[in-house]
Formats: sequence, structure tokens, C-alpha cells
Amino acid sequence: MSEHHEPGVRIDPREDFLVLDDVHTYFDLGTTLFTRESKGVVKAVDGVTLTVKAGEILGLVGESGCGKSTLSRTIMQLIRPTSGRIFLEGKELSALSDKDIRHERINFQMIFQDPYASLNPRMTVLDTLAEAIRTRHPTAKGNALRGRVAELLRTVGMNPAQMKRYPHEFSGGQRQRVAIARALATEPKLIIADEPVSALDVSIQSQILNLLKRLTREMGLTMIFISHDLSVVRYIADRIAVMYLGRILELGEASQIVDHPLHIYTRALMSAIPQPDPIVERTRHRIVLQGDPPSPLNPPEGCNFWPRSPVEHDERMKHEEPVLTEIEPGHYAANCPFCLQEA
Amino acid sequence: MTDHSETAVLGNEAAPVPRHSASEIAEHELIQGSSLWKDAWSRLRKNRLAVASLVIFLLIVVASIVGPWLVPYNSQEQDLFLGATAPSAAHWFGTDTLGRDLLVRTLEGGRISLMVGLIATVVSLAIGVIYGATAGYMGGKVDATMMRFVDLLYALPFTIFVILLMVAFGRSMWLMFVAIGAVEWLSMARIVRAGVMGLKKQEFVEAAVSLGYSHKRIILRHLIPNVLGPVIVIATLTVPAVMLLEAFLSFLGLGVQPPNASWGVLINEGQQNMEIFPWLLIFPAFLFALTLFCLNFLGDGLRDALDPKSAKD
Repeated sequence: MSEHHEPGVRIDPREDFLVLDDVHTYFDLGTTLFTRESKGVVKAVDGVTLTVKAGEILGLVGESGCGKSTLSRTIMQLIRPTSGRIFLEGKELSALSDKDIRHERINFQMIFQDPYASLNPRMTVLDTLAEAIRTRHPTAKGNALRGRVAELLRTVGMNPAQMKRYPHEFSGGQRQRVAIARALATEPKLIIADEPVSALDVSIQSQILNLLKRLTREMGLTMIFISHDLSVVRYIADRIAVMYLGRILELGEASQIVDHPLHIYTRALMSAIPQPDPIVERTRHRIVLQGDPPSPLNPPEGCNFWPRSPVEHDERMKHEEPVLTEIEPGHYAANCPFCLQEA
Repeated sequence: MTDHSETAVLGNEAAPVPRHSASEIAEHELIQGSSLWKDAWSRLRKNRLAVASLVIFLLIVVASIVGPWLVPYNSQEQDLFLGATAPSAAHWFGTDTLGRDLLVRTLEGGRISLMVGLIATVVSLAIGVIYGATAGYMGGKVDATMMRFVDLLYALPFTIFVILLMVAFGRSMWLMFVAIGAVEWLSMARIVRAGVMGLKKQEFVEAAVSLGYSHKRIILRHLIPNVLGPVIVIATLTVPAVMLLEAFLSFLGLGVQPPNASWGVLINEGQQNMEIFPWLLIFPAFLFALTLFCLNFLGDGLRDALDPKSAKD
């Protein structure tokens, strides 16, 4: 079904808001002490090409260990890519020196997974936020600075009177609000949220999701929202990218991914979401994958999904490298003929 | 950005937001937080042994500082006719073989011993914390080079190192500070490095990097305050260790030189006539031991207070 389409994702580093161009992030495990044999290379991110449009929320889903956190840290330039280029508003972040990147960082911020670890326990909320505000406004001080902190706290739905409190005096949800306020403090254009709700109670999750969604809209932000939970991502995201073993297997509008997923892996993920309606739930057809994701240390050749594929396949699947291809307008999938066939 | 206070009622966990503009928030309206230091202090106060140790230690410190002025004798004034006398109303701790008042000598000895302990600890703290934090934060080759240097210094036998210093530069108290400081900062650097390496992987440090903070700021504001707990404990335990080293050096005749006294010097003098004039050994040794006990109990108490998870009960 993919013959009519040009393989690959169209990118325009000058025009698009955020561009990842064939990004690879490998971790070299070094050599053994005496024999000097290579211990191997972990291919955490293995050729990701992606664009993010200004103002959208891109959801990035995948199982744990698929490289989504590494990808987020690579975009954040906390880990430099092994190869490939990353552009934000036409500026190539991956080419900047460590020194120059420091001054760019106020434009892209991150919200971390664990609100119990992402705030400095020795600093009050006021100190934490004031420090972040000063990256954008170095001369801010006194009442103006405190006023801005209060404003940020209100924005994330917290009482500014609590600004002199320490992180351990707040609940997980409140801490995550503070962490969001800190990310907003630099007035960034792009926010990467790495599993921002997975450490929270379910009752708090929806509050934080709504907050993130509202802030993105109201402040004109662009967000990459990372999660292992497709039901969370489909709630918040405009577009969704499905990641597996360091590669993107499918990419499209949220409705496209949710309503008619093309890749067998996405279909398996979708089929794993329980349905609230018991009648629908009874007829839910689960696609069960075999085994666990293989180690990114020695990823399988060819379509890297073959060891777990529930569909029949032959040797070609193990040798032909699939390419992300536009199957229908805006809807891309890795063009492995076995993975794309109808169940 | 507009005022979002009306949307703040997002969830029941968010406290109600007062409806006024930012500049109106006065200091008294702010809820004062309780820092981890404050929490630790309140835990320490409940530890009776630690508090008693702290009080006794402070008493000894104050007595050593103020005492020599209150005792009506000079520590170096000899009275050879008097010689060694047992404790009496005139000389509470007795006198030594040269007829010097032992009370004033013990207090002045305490001054020097405590000063050595505190100064050497502060020096080792300053060097060790900065050095260890830098090595741990930078990692890689910088870390490897810095820590091999520490290993190298560790491998030097301390006594021989000090004897060589004394031979080369002559005996002086300042040289002893250098010698002790040069040894004690090594363990401090290792402990801080280990702490920083553990912290470095925490998300708040990643967040600080993402915010574009300088290395200096990250080390000083985000890493060091978070390793200070164990550092304070180690420092408290380093003071007695340093005092013991000083006593050891003075005992060997390499440290403080007579007629100046330190507890080590006094104990050395005392043990020479232990069988005839036991008070010459008993008083300085008792005060020295008491100080060491206090500091060790205080260190234990601080460890439990600063890291409640490690407390036994």
C-alpha cells in the first residue's frame, strides 16, 4: 500500500519549528579491562527524523527502554547526539558549543518525571523560581521578582503565599506544579514533558494534564509530551509518534493513530487500552505481542520489530530496513510490508 | 500573561488563591517553610545524649577560652621550690614538677588542642568539599586525574610525612596545621565526591543544567548544600580525629613545643611521672577523653538528625 509514496519524512530545517534530522544517540560501553574487546554500543536513539509544528502538542509513546527519555534529553542537549542534526526555529542546536548552548537553553525547558527528585530539596519555591526567572531577566530583584514568582504560582494553580515553603512540604501534584512553573519561568518556546504524570496519583494526573494542555494553548507553547501510556497521550496530544527500540514506527494526527493505526505495533498498543464500556470491552480484540523488547545493545536487523511480530513473516523482514513513509496525508508509518498488513 | 487566579480552582489539592495582585503580597502573609536544616535541628534537640554532649563540649570550649584569665596563675611561671604538689584549694589540679599550676596549663592546652582541631577541620573542609565536589561533578578524565592525586597523598605514610616536614622546615605549630590539614581533607574529598556523584543523576541537577546555569552555580547552589549533611557529620568526627593526631605528634615531640602546652604535651609530661604524680596525667587525659566522647556522640546525633532514615530507632 505504500508504493505510491516517497519514503522518509519531509523536513525543512529553515521553516519548521523543531526538526530532528536522522538523530542517533549511542552509548559506547567502552572496552573490557584486559582483553580490550568492545562491550558494545547501546543504540538508544537510532535514526529519528521528526518535525514539530509551532503550537502543537506532540505525543511520544513507547514502552520503557524504547529510548524516549534519551530522545528527550538529546533534544534538550543534555546528551549530545552521536550523529544527526537538531534545529529549533532554524538554529542548529546540535552544532552549538557547550558554552553557546547555555544561552539558548532558556528557549526550551523540560518537565521531569519524578517531582520528588526534580526540585532542589534545600531551596524554597521562591528561590527555585527566582533563580530560573533570572536566566531571562538577570537584573530582576526585590518585589518585582517576587511578584513574578507569585504570578507563576498562580498560573499553575498554586497559592503564592506558599512560596517560602520547601519541596518536602508539598504533595507530589503540587511539586509537579512547581516544576511546571520553573519550566515556564524562563519563558520558553518549547517544553519537553518527560512522563510528567506517571509518578502521580490517577486523581492528580488529569489535573496536571489539563494544566499542561491549557498552558500550551494560552501561552502559545509547543510541547513534546512523552509517555508510555497511549490513553494519556491521546487525551493531550495533537499528533502522536510511536517509538520502538530507538526508532519511530508511526507518526500522525492523534485521530489517525487512535482511530486507524497502521503499524501492527501501534495496533497492539491500542488494543491494550481497556474500554470503559463493558459491552465494547467484551469484544475488544487484543493483539498480543511475543516476549519483551529486545536489548538496544544488539538490536535486531531489518525491521526491528520482527522478533515480536504476531503476524507471519519471512526472512525479508529481518533484512530490509523499513523507512518511515507517508501512507496517507500526514500519517507516516515504517514501511515494513509485514507490519502494515491488515490483521 | 494574565492573572489566572480564577482558573486556580483546578483541583482540590490546590489551596485557594487570594485575589489580589502580586505586589500586594506582604511578607507576613507568606507561610514560612521549614527547611530541612530546621527539621534536623528539632530532631537533634530530642536526642538527649547529643544535646548533653553539645553542652559539655561548649562548656569545655568556653572554659578553655576564658579560664586562663580567671585563674590567678601564669602557665609558664615556674616555682621550683614548690615542685609537684597534689590538688589543693590553691591549685585545684595540683602543680607539675616545675611548680606550674596544672589547671591553667590544662586550660591553655585545651585552647591549643581545640584550635588545632577546629582550624585543621575547617581547612580540610574547605579544600575537601570544593575539590571533591568539582571532581564528582566534572567526572571523566578530570575526576580520574584529581582522585589519583588524592590516592597518591593517601599512600604517603603520615608519620614519615610529618617527620620529613619537621626536618625540612623546623618545628612549628603552623607546619602542624599544614601537615594535618593535608591529610584530613583527603577523606572529606572522597566523601563529597561520592555524594555529588549520587546527586548528579538526580533530576534537579539535570533541571539546573537545562536552565543553563553555570558549573560554578550548580556546584555551589545545587550540589554542595545537598551533601552538607554528611559533611557536617564527618567534620564533627574529624575534629576529635585531628585532636588525637595533634596529641600523637606532640606526644612524639613533633608537635607543640614546651613551654607551650597542648593536651598531648601535658599527657606526655604526665605519663613520665605517672606512678608518682598521677594527677599530672589524670586531669588532662580526662578532659581530653571527655571532649572526644562529646564530639563523637554529637557526630552520631547529627548523623541521625540529618539523615533520619539511617537512625536506628
